[in-house]
Formats: sequence, C-alpha cells, structure tokens
Amino acid sequence: MKPHQIIEAVLFASDAPLRSDEIARADESLDEDVVERSLEELRTFYLESERAYDLVELAEGYQILTRPEFVPYLERFDNVPRPSRLSGPALEALAIIAYRQPIGRLEVEHIRGVGSSGVIRTLQDRGLVEVVGRSEGLGRPLLYGTTTRFLEHFGFQSLEDLPRPEDLPVVLRDRTAPIFPEDEGEDVQDQ
Amino acid sequence: MKTARLPADSSKRFVVDIDRFQGPLELLLHLIREQDVDIFDIPISRITNQFLEVVREIEAHDLDSAGSFLEMAATLVRIKAQMILPRPSEEEDEDPRAELVRRLLEYEQIREITLRLGRAEAERARRRSKGYLEARPRPSFEDVPLETEWEEVLAAALDVRLPEPFDSDHRVTPRTVSMEEKSQLILTSLGSGTGVEFRRLLEPFREKIHGVMTFLAGLELSRRRRILLRQSGPFKELWIYRRDEDDASDDATTDPPIHPDSTVPDPNGER
Repeated sequence: MKPHQIIEAVLFASDAPLRSDEIARADESLDEDVVERSLEELRTFYLESERAYDLVELAEGYQILTRPEFVPYLERFDNVPRPSRLSGPALEALAIIAYRQPIGRLEVEHIRGVGSSGVIRTLQDRGLVEVVGRSEGLGRPLLYGTTTRFLEHFGFQSLEDLPRPEDLPVVLRDRTAPIFPEDEGEDVQDQ
Repeated sequence: MKTARLPADSSKRFVVDIDRFQGPLELLLHLIREQDVDIFDIPISRITNQFLEVVREIEAHDLDSAGSFLEMAATLVRIKAQMILPRPSEEEDEDPRAELVRRLLEYEQIREITLRLGRAEAERARRRSKGYLEARPRPSFEDVPLETEWEEVLAAALDVRLPEPFDSDHRVTPRTVSMEEKSQLILTSLGSGTGVEFRRLLEPFREKIHGVMTFLAGLELSRRRRILLRQSGPFKELWIYRRDEDDASDDATTDPPIHPDSTVPDPNGER
C-alpha cells in the first residue's frame, strides 16, 4: 500500500480531525514527515480531480470535508438538524474567553457589562469552553479556556487563526486596547 | 418586544429596541455611534440623560435585566458630576471619562471579534463531514406504499379463531395459590418415591404463580429439613428428594438416599 492510500483510508473513515501523529499510527512505514507529504499529495489530487470534498486543516489536524459550494445540495436532506449556531451573547462571551484565556467569569462579565454565568454554562455544555484552572485571586475563581471542539466548530487550525488585532478597524487599533495583554499569564483581576 | 423611545437632543426622535441590546455597554455604544459623537470626547451630560431615559423604560418592563443598566447609569452620573466639579489641576487628574472610554473601546473590539467569529462559524458550517447525512433515512409511514391486497386481509380474517367466550367482567381475585397447598403437593408427590422433578410439580398448572409458590414451598421445606434440593448446574433440572427423619440431623452434604438414575448429580455440586 502506498502511504497516501493508507492515509486516505484513515481520514475517510474518520468523522473528526486527526493529527498527523495520530495518522502515522496506522502503519510502521509512516512517520509525521511522510504523513505531511502525503497529505499534500492528497490535497493536490483532490483539487485537480475536482472532488466534491477536500482536505481541510482543522483543530490542529486534518479532516476530509465537503467543499462549501455543495452545501445547498446537502441541505435538501432535511432529515438532520442543521449545525446549530451560537446566540449573540454566547458568541460574545466566547470571543472574550478565546482572546483572554485563561479568564474568570467576573472578568467576562466586566467586559460585557452583563451577567454571563448562563452563557458560559451554555458554552461549557456545547464543549466549546472548559475549566482550565483556578485564579490565584480572592476565592480562587474558576478560569475558562477554549477547547479543541471550539477550533473545529469555527474552522480554525489553531488559536493563531483567530482574527488578529491588527486586522481590526483602525479606530480600535490606534488606542491602547488592553484586550491583548503583552504580559501573558497575568493573574485575573476580579473586579 | 420591548421598545423605548430615545429622546434625541434635537427634533430627531427614534425608537430603541431594548431586546437588541445585550447590555448597557452596547446601548451606550449605540447612543454614541448613532449621534456620531467622538468617543474620545463624549458629551457626557447629553449621553447620560439619554441613557437614563431609556433605562427608565426598561425598568418599567423588565426589572431583571435593569440591574446592569442601572449600574452603568450610576457610573455615568458619577462621571457627569466629576466633569462639573472643578478639578484642582488639569495635568495630574485623569479625565473622568477615561475608564469608561477604555471599556467602551474594549467592548467595541469584542463586538467586532464576535462578528468575525460569527462569520467564521457560518463559513465552517458550509463544510460537512462524514455522518452529516444519516445512513438510512427512515421514510415515514405515510410514504411507504401499502402493498397488502384485500384478499390477504380477508384470508387473515378467516383464519382468526375466536377465543372461548369468557366472562368479560374484569375481576380481581385474591391469590388462591398458597404455600401450604404447595408444600402438601411436594410431600404427597414424594410420598411413594424418593425423588421427583420440580418440573413435574408444575405440569398441571399454567400460571407462573404456581411455579413461584412451589419453589418457595420447596425452599421452606428444605429449610425445615424435610426435603433436599439438588441441581447439577445452572438451568439444569431441579430434583426434590425426601429427607428421612434419621437424616434430619445430618450435614447438608449427605447423599440423597437413592438416585433415581445415573444423571443425578454429585451432591457436592449442590447449589
């Protein structure tokens, strides 16, 4: 068997992203370098042969997904619920957690200006955020961070894929906006 | 839908849909953006009045969500007061609005990121993975064509045997099967021979209760050392033996008096 065939078989059978080291477990002939090279071959092959799917880098792994332009055809099969979207408040809380993680609930609430325990619980239930530790602050409040599921849900390869602060509108960039703190690992202030 | 009339400073009046705003920061940003004022030089008095006006409307509608708005209102009033009071020296003191502006900018940044996350989510939802479509969608009953012919139905109807007529009144009868009765049955069955199969004792009866009561009676007699119960293994036939009076004091591992045939298990396999 050729490496790219083995890898294709593994990815084909998977319904979640697989990292290259996970794929390499399929056979002794594979290591991460071989896997990465073969994945590139596969991707090119899918593109050139006009497959309806392609190889997507997702959540620090790879997954075979249908191309976006085919979604109208798939949606005609309304026997399954559409992938549900998050509500506005949930997205907002998630955005804060994604950029400020690890972060406590009180700080999320301070930034949003409204209570957020409900939406944080929703995000936890959906597997998008999880408790990653406790703050050193008073009462040692829980700190939240995003999960691999979060990356999958939004199609990000890693947290690096999040919109960059410098990509945001100029009016916000000109000013000192402490949302991207320089010193990481700073203790969470409970206000 | 809750709405609040927003008093504009000029003749312009518009209606604010309170449900649209997730919190006081969003409302404040809306007021600032709507009137095109400089966020770094907020006309705090005007904005505060407008904010309070809207909050009054919310209070009337929804006390629950009013809390965070009231908190912001208090902050605005405080800033307004600080602005009016003469400051000792312009250089040393920070503009009272600075912290509010910082929060507003931070919040606006979050709003922008939230929008982008929403777009990323929508874009990702356009790609589907394996398992998106169910393997075999089950058609509903109405969609399945009925292939049964009337003749088949008729034939089936003719095949039906009516049950014996029975008393249609539903009657709850007290349990008529007693343990005493079953104990007697066991002992009389053992009367002539030395062993009997448990199954035999149930043969004349069909209801489960007879099996249960016979078994209980068997256990009770065994406890009273009147009989021995033997089974060679799980689900094997259960044998009942009479236990002679002189055996009564013997240990339970004593052989049963006589084996009816060679398949009778080793008494040490007693269960």
